[in-house]
Amino acid sequence: DSHIQYERVGADVTMKCGSMDWDAAVTWTANGTDIDESHLNGSYLILKNVDLSQSGQYSCYEGSSWHLKYQTYLRVGMPPKEPVLMCRSNNYPKGFYCSWHLPTPTYIPNSFNISVIHGTKDMVCEKDAVPKNRCHIRYLQLFSTVKYKVTLTVTNALGKNSTTLTFDEFAIVKPDPPESVVAKPVPNNPRRLEVSWQNPSSWPDPESFPLKFFLRYRPLILDQWQHVELSDGTSHTITDAYAGKEYIIQVAAKDNDIGTWSDWSVAVHATPWTEEPKHLTTEAQITETTSASTSSFMAPPTTKICDKGAVVGSGAVAVCWTAGLVVAAYSVLFI
Amino acid sequence: MAAADSHSSALRRRDLCSRAIRLAGKMRADVVDLLDTYVERQGLDASASVAAVEGVPLAAVERWDEQTSTQRLLENLAAYRAFRALLAQMLEEQREQLGEADAGLGRALAAVLLQVSAFTYHLEELLRLESRGIPGEEEEEEEEDGPPPPPRLSIFEQKLRGLGVLRELAQWAVRSARDLRQLAKPSAASGTAPGLAESP
Repeated sequence: DSHIQYERVGADVTMKCGSMDWDAAVTWTANGTDIDESHLNGSYLILKNVDLSQSGQYSCYEGSSWHLKYQTYLRVGMPPKEPVLMCRSNNYPKGFYCSWHLPTPTYIPNSFNISVIHGTKDMVCEKDAVPKNRCHIRYLQLFSTVKYKVTLTVTNALGKNSTTLTFDEFAIVKPDPPESVVAKPVPNNPRRLEVSWQNPSSWPDPESFPLKFFLRYRPLILDQWQHVELSDGTSHTITDAYAGKEYIIQVAAKDNDIGTWSDWSVAVHATPWTEEPKHLTTEAQITETTSASTSSFMAPPTTKICDKGAVVGSGAVAVCWTAGLVVAAYSVLFI
Repeated sequence: MAAADSHSSALRRRDLCSRAIRLAGKMRADVVDLLDTYVERQGLDASASVAAVEGVPLAAVERWDEQTSTQRLLENLAAYRAFRALLAQMLEEQREQLGEADAGLGRALAAVLLQVSAFTYHLEELLRLESRGIPGEEEEEEEEDGPPPPPRLSIFEQKLRGLGVLRELAQWAVRSARDLRQLAKPSAASGTAPGLAESP
């Protein structure tokens, strides 16, 4: 005779050895290990203040014959706390989905039941195979002011709990983030970055339900973001980038009229175009100043003394022979 | 010649659609602002549930994606004509109740009424381009000849109805923008019912 027994953490549990009398001689085991007689009251097994580690298979054997008289699987757990429920439409106007989870585990099996009412009409939320804690509904009506009421009830052997969400059609519209964000430097433009992206593939009809976008960008060395809101198009050129600095860029999307902004897209990095260093052509050109930007973060103009080809030595002691001449001249002055 | 007419018609249609879409967007933004003002000035609870009121066209629609261009235009036109009358009535009631004490609310209502009138004009023009007869507003009045006029509402009932009118108008403005974008699609020109593009 074997079954499952659910008990709450902290409870006192008494197990009877099937139909055996209280004064019968029995032996109890837990997961195959004998249980000390101190836990017995006659033939009853007493477990006080049970905890999760005491879950397992409990068996009772008749004293001398060792016939199995009773077996149960003890599952120690907790009744469910109020579940967390979220509903969202990332594929408007096709429908919406609701997903849920428990704030703390119960350690025993739970079943979930979800009901959706639109006005007086019951709607069926079809459970997704993956993930399991999610269901979706197709909109039967659009542009309604009547609210949706979604109630989720979670039940297990130790209790039940529920939560209810009430919302209108527009409020839960939240697209997925834009996809395939790409940022590229613009040749010969040290302050520009070209950014492009695509509508999220889950958004079914961007022509009739266009999205607007929010772009944010900053150089890695700064914490403050710049923001640009774009009412159409899936590209934008940043024109105020600091020359030579690596940027981090993200994009978010929102339906033009309703709902909320998506999460930020995956971040992309890009550095604006910079001019290649110019080579010296004669010995007389000791210094050459380059200046390509008015940005305050521009590195100070570089004074080039060495031509790559004029370096003598190697590694840490590599010395440009022109620089060597200059140093030697100064040394002579101070001797 | 026929091809040139058709091309010019298509351009006019596209122009009307894009202007009407912009107007719908502006109208919605203004109605949402007006709703906040209206609720505050009329002493209402913003979350108050208002039952569907007779005569206020509901934006809610089933099988929206299966509608033809003509259906969209006719339903929009009927709705905005009704809103034009309802807003005019609200303006009158507001003047009676509050007089000059709240000229701001009156001006905001009048501005929205103007936008609704302009939008109605765009819809009528689009229907003409569809070579459809525009239903006369006189026909609608004749249909209502039978039953007696409804009893005059109390001031509170008037305020609640006004809330319902503005809420539905805000919904319609969103719906209308989508309707017009459907109309603006090339496949809509033939009057067929373009379905939603399947998501990949």
